[in-house]
Amino acid sequence: MWRYIKWGFRVTVLLAVFLFLHYTLPQHSIVRVTGTFNRLTTVGANSIFYASPDAGTAEGATTRDIRFIETVRANDKVIVFRNEDTGLIWPPYFKYDSSNLQAEAGNLKSDKTTPQWVSVTHYGWRVPFLSIYPNAVAVKAVAGPDVRIIPWVNIVVLSFLLIGLLMIRRMWLQFRERMLDPVAQDVAEAWDGVEDRGEAVAGKARGFWARFSGWLGTFRGKPRR
Amino acid sequence: MIGLIRVFIFAALGLTVVYWLMSVYSRSTERERLEKKWDASPPEGWPDREAYIEAGMAKYERSLRHKLIWLVYIVPLVVVAVIIYFVNVQ
Repeated sequence: MWRYIKWGFRVTVLLAVFLFLHYTLPQHSIVRVTGTFNRLTTVGANSIFYASPDAGTAEGATTRDIRFIETVRANDKVIVFRNEDTGLIWPPYFKYDSSNLQAEAGNLKSDKTTPQWVSVTHYGWRVPFLSIYPNAVAVKAVAGPDVRIIPWVNIVVLSFLLIGLLMIRRMWLQFRERMLDPVAQDVAEAWDGVEDRGEAVAGKARGFWARFSGWLGTFRGKPRR
Repeated sequence: MIGLIRVFIFAALGLTVVYWLMSVYSRSTERERLEKKWDASPPEGWPDREAYIEAGMAKYERSLRHKLIWLVYIVPLVVVAVIIYFVNVQ
């Protein structure tokens, strides 16, 4: 029972970390831009999936004019991106150029007969049920729909996270070796001291008791031992 | 603007915690290294273990390695500047 709870807890934490990274780290989609437009959007309970009110393009907290980029993938499935500033606030893309990005995306518009494939760097998820959209960060014209893009940013960020985790582990081990273990040893030694003293007291008591019972024995005519 | 100030305050607090942890860790490894070195074979002219370690630690406090911990503040600032440049410049 306890084991299941422990494993459930671990799996939940790992899943949360994975989802957080999957949402935050950049991804690339190779698409064809079909439309760029603005739309007044009401942001309510889903506001954590939109730019925070302090960031550049998001002035109002509830209703705001958001730029969108409509795109189509090679398999004719569509993706709609939002295009909002992140500013200095989470996630740390420090994006201030959503107007420029919108213009670049508009410039790369193409139709089905003469496609211009575009790699859109973005983070976030498209969940229609919550009305949330991935946020486009950059657009770049590419040769075709099958271009291979190496996710350098993800490689660097994940390796630094790994290095950070190993560093925290080493710091903890150093702290335990230098600070906790000596204290534990002292406590153990102190405890041994207590036990020794306890035995000495017990021995004295035993001696006292033996003498006392020996003294009692003199009354019963037994020889003293 | 308030957001900017808030970001700076939180970043400074977070990086100060990291700086403190790093300096404690680095000092601890240095002290351990000195202790082990003396225990292996006491160097010439250092009959007293405590004095040897204290002198070594004083030297460490002035060393480049100790000063490099300031990179904890500098590297994130540089990284942020580089990201701002590459994300926003066409």
